[in-house]
Amino acid sequence: MTPLQNKVAELFENGTISLMIGYKNAINKLAVPCFIDHATQVEQLIYTPECKGNLSVYLHKAEIKQAKKIGILANIATLRSLVQLTSENQLSDIEKTVITINAQNEVLVFDNMEKVEEYVQANFPEYTEEDKKLLEQLNSMTRAERWQYWSEQFAACVKCYACRAVCPMCYCSSCTVECNQPQWIKVSSETTGNLEWHTMRAMHLAGRCINCGECGRICPVGIPVHLLTAQMNLDIEKEFGSKTGFSCNSGYALNTFKPEDKEQFIK
Amino acid sequence: MEIKNIKLSQLPAFFDQLIKSGKVVIAPVMKKSGKVFFERVQSYSQVATDYIQTGFSAKSVVFPKVEVLFSFNKTDDGIDIKDSITDIPETIVWGLRPCDGSAFNYMTEFFLKENPDVYYAARKAKTTLIAISCAKADDACFCTSVGLTPGSTEGSDLLLTTMGEDVYVEVITEKGKAAIDLSASLFSVNEERSKEKYLAKIDTKFSLTEIKERIKTAYDSAEWKNESMGCFGCGACAFSCPTCTCFDIQDEGTQNKGQRLRCWDACGFGQFTKHASGHNPKTNQTQRRRQRLMHKFQYSVENLGIVSCVGCGRCIRVCPAHLNIFENILSVTQ
Amino acid sequence: MEPKNQYIPYKMRIASITEEAPLVQTYRLEFVDEKDAEQFTFRAGQFAEYGVFGEGESTFCIASSPTREGYLECTFRSTGRVTKALANCELNDIIGLRGPFGNTFPIEEWYGKNIVFVTGGIALPPLRCVIWNLLDQREKFGDITIYYGARSVNDLVYKEELEEWSSRSDVKLYVTVDPGGETPEWKGLVGFVPTVLEQNPPKSDNAVAIVAGPPILIKMGMPILSKNGFDNANIYTTLENRMKCGVGKCGHCTVGKTYVCKDGPVFTYEEVLKMPAEY
Ligand code: SF4
Ligand code: SF4
Ligand code: SF4
Ligand code: SF4
Ligand code: SF4
Repeated sequence: MTPLQNKVAELFENGTISLMIGYKNAINKLAVPCFIDHATQVEQLIYTPECKGNLSVYLHKAEIKQAKKIGILANIATLRSLVQLTSENQLSDIEKTVITINAQNEVLVFDNMEKVEEYVQANFPEYTEEDKKLLEQLNSMTRAERWQYWSEQFAACVKCYACRAVCPMCYCSSCTVECNQPQWIKVSSETTGNLEWHTMRAMHLAGRCINCGECGRICPVGIPVHLLTAQMNLDIEKEFGSKTGFSCNSGYALNTFKPEDKEQFIK
Repeated sequence: MEIKNIKLSQLPAFFDQLIKSGKVVIAPVMKKSGKVFFERVQSYSQVATDYIQTGFSAKSVVFPKVEVLFSFNKTDDGIDIKDSITDIPETIVWGLRPCDGSAFNYMTEFFLKENPDVYYAARKAKTTLIAISCAKADDACFCTSVGLTPGSTEGSDLLLTTMGEDVYVEVITEKGKAAIDLSASLFSVNEERSKEKYLAKIDTKFSLTEIKERIKTAYDSAEWKNESMGCFGCGACAFSCPTCTCFDIQDEGTQNKGQRLRCWDACGFGQFTKHASGHNPKTNQTQRRRQRLMHKFQYSVENLGIVSCVGCGRCIRVCPAHLNIFENILSVTQ
Repeated sequence: MEPKNQYIPYKMRIASITEEAPLVQTYRLEFVDEKDAEQFTFRAGQFAEYGVFGEGESTFCIASSPTREGYLECTFRSTGRVTKALANCELNDIIGLRGPFGNTFPIEEWYGKNIVFVTGGIALPPLRCVIWNLLDQREKFGDITIYYGARSVNDLVYKEELEEWSSRSDVKLYVTVDPGGETPEWKGLVGFVPTVLEQNPPKSDNAVAIVAGPPILIKMGMPILSKNGFDNANIYTTLENRMKCGVGKCGHCTVGKTYVCKDGPVFTYEEVLKMPAEY
């Protein structure tokens, strides 16, 4: 058994957790989410570079919440989403134990969010090289070119809403796209309506997205949709000085008033 | 069945004739993201040849993601309604996989057997399916478990199997014949032979007979919950699936002028079965995932006598949680 | 002959509007095109898709009886985008109608039998079609008993027809309102429909029962009748799952392998018991 498996078995045995959300091996060399409710099943658990999925999204699921004492295996992006969700008061009803594996390959167990926050701040991730490159390309375009780029991308969107489904920050029980009185966003998939949908989503995630990149990674048609919110985060950090998924008490930029804010309209 | 031969080096010439025929030609194209999708093409150089399976199936040719059912226009003395069936173009799909060909068989049964759907009928009548056997497969492919092979001819009009420098051509239907007649000189007579050695090897994951028997009592299996735990309730599996046929009907425009559309929908969405009163007969993802699998392996068998999963593996590859339909099916029928 | 395009609606003119209860209205609809009127037929139990162009379609039963020719009636509560748009229509406006869809109540098989109706709220309309159908050929049936309830006195629909039925000697009518829904003037019963049904059980000899209502009333009402000696094959219901196409294609209404729209909406309790509880 690996140190991770040993640790999780121990947490089951001493009653700290009753459900563990982790990853297991699957076909085509994929790592997929797994849900374990007993110490005897820990041998499925893996932690490899393939474990990219952000498991914190499952904490919104009613079936998972029933478990009460939840262990969650978290990569750095998942840790950040836990911090951000805490600051948005989304996790207060869950008793959770957070497990991560650091660069030295040690298994770390956090039993409270302060410790998670501390770890996240000490290991705060940069944008990936690939995303930096893509954002640079986008920023060097003219407005018209950029519009063209996104129009082409979103023409292919089929509105499967997988990007929304995997996003830990898209937790609204009723999403704007499902609202039809009025019908803010068209149901059918075509370029303009798709642009509206993604603009809406990006606005709702501005300053809340924790840059896990999941939405872009899993889009079945390969749209790098995560770049929208990634860029907005950069803008917000510049304008308001706040980073997402950095502090459990920060709230988020577009929902927070500070006397020193530049805008006049609220005063 | 008529068998023909064409030199591999002559395929582009054959393809050019298809383009020149003026029909819309849809073929697999490799996108910047590295994924392959069916798209309208103008020349053979655009066609992807080295890939396992397209991201989405070719079903949009007969069942588009958005289809105009009719447009309407209010006038002084009432309202004009015009359907869009006459605008449907003749279309050739090039390079679909044998599993996808057989998916068209299922869709035709589903759409046309009872209460025939005039839009599907019109599109299908104008579509020619040129399939290419699979020389390669990945771990998600499981056509051999659902009664097909990487060289099945069901549902396709023409099947091409590359054998070294030659391409073995099975002319399955009149439409297939019409396609090769466009460049008759490129094709020579050939005799029937085994394709076996040129096809991908795909292990069977389960015995279909056994699964069909066992799934009859699987509805109440406790395994559904565990097998569905990872499911997010998105539309990726249904939208990529060659045999998913569910749709929503939506109006767009104003009350004076607009269109009634049908758009792909999916039983995985939480809203799919929700009543106007708020009551929802399928309240959780376990029930919704069960609907999907039961439909593929049980309900379509009961209703049409066909297992409506063709083993293309798309739903596995595309699922954000990589839920695996054949593993799920095995576990709920244990 | 080319198969009919099932998505093209008939054009219907709103010929009259009756306010039934808060947010509930009955529209009488007449065919704009004579030819449509001539070839359109339907039978009790069938439903249709009613559409406001530009807003969409909504599913409800045909509430008038096929014995009343020349028009159709529908009764609906405005809750969603389409029903609200429908409610905003005015007299003589043109709306779309697709149908009739689904199977029917086997009324001919009921000749000579006692008939019991159990329904609540906005589910009286599907049964009203059957009730008038029977009353218009009253001599062919035995006793007719109707149990009907609504949340409050104000929420009862077809108030005038309820008066009419209660004054008829050949109809036994129990009208009830949920506890708390009564007014000082209310002279009818107070209590939920299943309770009223249990307290005043109908005789099951030579009888068939028809239950329609919100899913909870169907789920509670049918077992009560069954317990009172009704054969499960003689208890009918009409299910109302979400629907879009009406012709067994769009997939929304399925209960297991069953498409409520084309295999139903009318089912016997015997059939319902064999289906998963996905309604
Ligand atoms: S995952 Fe991709 S295709 Fe699906 S809705 Fe999001 S952007 Fe569109
Ligand atoms: S990167 Fe995408 S999935 Fe991740 S938090 Fe941001 S918007 Fe959500
Ligand atoms: S199985 Fe996967 S693709 Fe299908 S709805 Fe669930 S998460 Fe989405
Ligand atoms: S269910 Fe999955 S494997 Fe089966 S046909 Fe559909 S996409 Fe392919
Ligand atoms: S019910 Fe689900 S599985 Fe069946 S066709 Fe519709 S979307 Fe596909």
